[in-house]
Amino acid sequence: MLLFYILFPLFVALGITIVSSKIRREFLGWIAFSVPVVLFALFARHIPTISSSEAIRTTFSWIPSYGIDLTFLLDGLSLIFVLLITGVGALVILYSIYYLSSKDSFAHFYTYLLLFMTAMLGVVLSDNIIVLYVFWEFTSISSFLLIAFWFHRKNSRNGAIKSLLITMSGGFTMLAGFLMLHVMTDSFSLRVILAELPQLTDHTLFYPAMALLLIGAFTKSAQFPFHIWLPDAMEAPTPVSAYLHSATMVKAGIYLIARFTPGFGGDVYWFWVITCVGLVTLFWGSFNAVRQNDLKALLAFSTISQLGLIMTLLGIGSAGINPAIGEAKGLYTFALFTALFHLVNHSTFKGSLFMVVGIVDHQVGTRDLRRLGGLMRFLPFTFLLAMIGSFAMAGLPFFNGFLSKEMFLTAVLSIGDLPIYGGAQVGWLLVLVAWLASVFTFVYSMILVFRTFTGRPIVDEEYKVPQEASLGMLIPPGILGVLAIGLFFFPNLLSDYLLKPAVEVLVEDGAALAPKIYAWHGFNTELFLTLGIITLGIVAYLLLRKWRPYYQYIPSNWTFNTLFRSTLSGYERLGERVTMRYMNGNLPSYFLYIFSFFIIVMWTTWWIVGPINVTFDSPSSMTVYEGLLAVVMAAAAIAILFAHSRLTAILLNGVLGFSIAIFFVFFRAPDLALTQLVIEAVTTILFLVCFNYLPEWKVEKLSITKKVRNGLIAIAGGLTVTIVGLAVNNYTKFESISSFYENSYELAGGRNIVNAILGDFRAFDTMLEGLVLFIAGIGVFTLIRMRQKKGAEPRENQ
Amino acid sequence: MKLINLVVLPIIVPLFIGTVLLLFRKSLLAQRALGLFGAAATLVVSLFLLAKVAEDGIQVVTLGSWAAPYGISLVSDMLSILLVATASLLTLLVLWYSVYSLGEKRELSFFYPATLFMLTGINGAFTTGDIFNLFVFFEVFLMASYVLIALGGERIQLRESMKYIIVNVVAAALFVITIGYLYSITGTLNMADLAVKLGDIGSMGVISTVAIMFLVVFGIKAGIFPLYFWLPGSYYAPPLPVLALFGALLTKVGIYSITRVYTLIFTTDVAFTHDMLMMLAIATILFGSIGALAYMDVKKIIIYNIVIAVGVILFGVAAFNEVAVTGSVLYLIHDMLVKALLFLMIGVLIFITGKTNLREMGGLIRHYPVLGWTYLVAVFALAGIPPLSGFAGKILILQGGLEGGFVWQSIVVALSTMVVLLSAIRIFIYAFWGAEKSFNSPPKAKYVNRMIPVVILFVITMGYGVFIEFLMPLFQATGTQLMDSSLYIDAVLGGEK
Repeated sequence: MLLFYILFPLFVALGITIVSSKIRREFLGWIAFSVPVVLFALFARHIPTISSSEAIRTTFSWIPSYGIDLTFLLDGLSLIFVLLITGVGALVILYSIYYLSSKDSFAHFYTYLLLFMTAMLGVVLSDNIIVLYVFWEFTSISSFLLIAFWFHRKNSRNGAIKSLLITMSGGFTMLAGFLMLHVMTDSFSLRVILAELPQLTDHTLFYPAMALLLIGAFTKSAQFPFHIWLPDAMEAPTPVSAYLHSATMVKAGIYLIARFTPGFGGDVYWFWVITCVGLVTLFWGSFNAVRQNDLKALLAFSTISQLGLIMTLLGIGSAGINPAIGEAKGLYTFALFTALFHLVNHSTFKGSLFMVVGIVDHQVGTRDLRRLGGLMRFLPFTFLLAMIGSFAMAGLPFFNGFLSKEMFLTAVLSIGDLPIYGGAQVGWLLVLVAWLASVFTFVYSMILVFRTFTGRPIVDEEYKVPQEASLGMLIPPGILGVLAIGLFFFPNLLSDYLLKPAVEVLVEDGAALAPKIYAWHGFNTELFLTLGIITLGIVAYLLLRKWRPYYQYIPSNWTFNTLFRSTLSGYERLGERVTMRYMNGNLPSYFLYIFSFFIIVMWTTWWIVGPINVTFDSPSSMTVYEGLLAVVMAAAAIAILFAHSRLTAILLNGVLGFSIAIFFVFFRAPDLALTQLVIEAVTTILFLVCFNYLPEWKVEKLSITKKVRNGLIAIAGGLTVTIVGLAVNNYTKFESISSFYENSYELAGGRNIVNAILGDFRAFDTMLEGLVLFIAGIGVFTLIRMRQKKGAEPRENQ
Repeated sequence: MKLINLVVLPIIVPLFIGTVLLLFRKSLLAQRALGLFGAAATLVVSLFLLAKVAEDGIQVVTLGSWAAPYGISLVSDMLSILLVATASLLTLLVLWYSVYSLGEKRELSFFYPATLFMLTGINGAFTTGDIFNLFVFFEVFLMASYVLIALGGERIQLRESMKYIIVNVVAAALFVITIGYLYSITGTLNMADLAVKLGDIGSMGVISTVAIMFLVVFGIKAGIFPLYFWLPGSYYAPPLPVLALFGALLTKVGIYSITRVYTLIFTTDVAFTHDMLMMLAIATILFGSIGALAYMDVKKIIIYNIVIAVGVILFGVAAFNEVAVTGSVLYLIHDMLVKALLFLMIGVLIFITGKTNLREMGGLIRHYPVLGWTYLVAVFALAGIPPLSGFAGKILILQGGLEGGFVWQSIVVALSTMVVLLSAIRIFIYAFWGAEKSFNSPPKAKYVNRMIPVVILFVITMGYGVFIEFLMPLFQATGTQLMDSSLYIDAVLGGEK
């Protein structure tokens, strides 16, 4: 059943591709819209079951031989995510029907979007980590396709490839981490792994696996310093940004970390790495959001920052898993609970804000803050929605953001009380960072609303007089806005049905330990911090003109973005330089490589496994004639190097060949000697015949260093081969198979062993060598024929 | 039919039909029909043999009934027959593609017989159980490849074929010397017998030395670091169908040979020999990765991807446990399929645009959506994105690597995937998405003709990924046979028939 839920969008996507040319484009949108609506209803049906802490499971086989099965599990944690995926998905698709222009390809858009929906559902429902990884990569791919939806724009293509590179690198590292988990637990099932992990903290792969997993999660959820892809991903159509790059896909990393909290949580590194990365991201995102002029870029950094906030909460909350935590467990379960609460809240207000920005862009034609202002009177409803979203994001009362922001402050304050990990010493610093980040958050939220909608109206002929957006574009953000307010007044409804069952998945007794949410908890530190944020935020916003210009003094080439770009282009340049350097297409260099490599590996071998035994005592002693002949051959070979004409070289080469024939005579192999003589005679004669047609013999001009180098390599190469030859020479442990052939007359009816071997025992070799000659003949024939035709075939075809 | 000699057929059938083809050297129709028939027939007999091996285990034929180790044994184990079947399949599809693309003059220059002879050599090399016979088969397919690389005789082809020949002649000389040394130690050439005798001796310096010499010899063919320098230039020269054959098949013979000798024969000093292989595999991945991003030429990009894959496959062999080796074989076959596919696709791309430089291409997706999207999916398959064809192999290689304790090396392998992806997807982004540039816009019918074999190969490759479970028993058997060499040895030496 779950598999059907997951694949449903995919099937519809395929259907859309097939029928796209036959039906009206808007209709495609409505078909696509029906998918998440139906799925939302189907998933919502399970809320009662899941809230009583049960889970739904289905299994199908895929590669059972290696334990890779399609097992899906719907529990409290997954439920929150699937409802977000389908709920926000429905709203976004509805919105997009009115947002896309008539020039855009609806079929492609909805195909990708539904593909993404399947992938994302798969990620949060898979129990098998390999299947999870499969879907994980599919979210990256569909995101890649959606960012490049307007692929004719260069920025879209660049943004797409950048996000693909970063998230997929993370995916591959995560896969390596998953495989380590498999090696540790011998299972691909999340449940099994999570159950066994706490006992495996001493395993050598425990920390490597954790690190790789975290990199995967951080890249996906745009955590510092991997956040750089998210602003560039804003080249995507706005509905996509609202859906993938704010509400769902970027939360996959958060899902992963939440999912693995029962396994890794309770470890000190897990706690500090996630908390610190989260806090740095929170701060860095909000700090940078303030300087943006593009509304979508502002929202992108704001998303980064908010993801950091959720991450921080997950980090803090992981302390609750540690058994040493004792009484304080409730306090840290509180952090996990808040993480999930804020996750939902963020989706509501950020989703609506993206849609608002989309409306502005759509109706006005720009989203550049410097050219916007006073839109309130033209777009009153949009303004209202923008206010709701921004105030919720800033953490003002009467919006859901207020609740989770207060709870976040509580959680950060609780680090100071941490009995383990040495949290008490640095707790105040973390509070300060979180507080500062919140001030920045407040400021950019105000920028978003007031810079866009208040102030002087724009009088620019370039733009049409903006009109309020159509109902279809207002309803989806409207629903999210109503939710943002509704959750402030009835938070415990959400808590009881969705959040508590999810916390139960993360921590034992989580549901019991989860707090009841109150808007008012008296005059405590959190409230004063919030008041401070608002006060300082208002002051900072009013004085914005005074301090915002200082941003430009931050060196622009010291960012991670520059680092990424220069690494990539540097890598390409380096690759080109290195490659061109050794791939010079020069035959002598090739030999240099072969022989140097050969010599190096051989001597390395002897260096490592110890020298090999070289003996000079031969079973048969060498005669004077043999010695003389060897000297002659050596002399001839060396002389070739110094030959000044081709004729000399050929004749010297002949000397070598004929000497080998004489050796055969010495070793009483007359047939071989005869063959060798014939071959030598023929080749030498052929050479001489061709002589006339060959170009001038050119002596290579080489510098003396190169000559010495080449000479040394040649000598070392010869020496190496000789040493091995001497070493293997005396090895007589086994009887050679040749003794079998000595019986050739009885076996094969031939008195001559060589003939019997060639013609019978190993006739197959002989036949194939015949084939080799035959093919060589064909080759020569084609080349000659081509020459007769003067020149080559033109290659018009490939 | 007596099935006992089935082992010989994938070698003999292309040899025979190739020879017959020489009789009709002026008839285009006969060349095409018989050429395709030859490859198809080879495929059919290999599939028969595959079924036989899957059912009855390793098949052995001792030629001339001279009992092993005295005669030449042909041995079809799972690894061998899987490669033979894949090679035959790819030859068939590439020949089909050539019919539409090579041009009549080249087709009539012994293209079809030379290709079939090359298949003879390749299938023989995959099958033989005799180390000297392996050398002979190497000569056969190399000689055929010399003919193919020069086919048509353009200037660049003649220049590159010269280098190719000379490098290979040197490698061949080293090969013979190495065999001579090995024979001098053991007095035998039969691989199973070699395994037994070297097993008796145990770890010894001189044997490790010879093992490394074989690594150098086969490394030149396989294209491992730093011995692949000849490969990009030589592979670049011939027409695309030939390039596809070379890229998909030739380096794989080198990989096969390394795998064979390093799982069957040289297993007495694994700590040294396989560590050396591991180092070289990692270096191959790194340098291949450097090269793949250095070029904007579509052919060069894919050629460097061959090198990376060689490293990844040998990494699994070097890790030397059943999971990793099984993964290597899975990945090896995936790589053969997907490389052939990519080369053919690049061929269509070059045909459409008339260019090979990416910077001069753009905006093709509107006009050629099928090519564009299949190419994108093929790139994801190449990178091993699940559930496509590279995935299962890669995951097993990594898992085996981790089980063998090669942690950072496994991470290098995982990350090399990014380079593969980036380099190949660039082609998609530039050529299909980029701003529209002028191109040839050849007649639609010619485009469609070429796309038929491409799409068929595409479907096969994708099926190899998604439905891998159906083939999994074969690969598990391969892994078992490779890691338990006694199965091979008993089949050759024990069960004399």
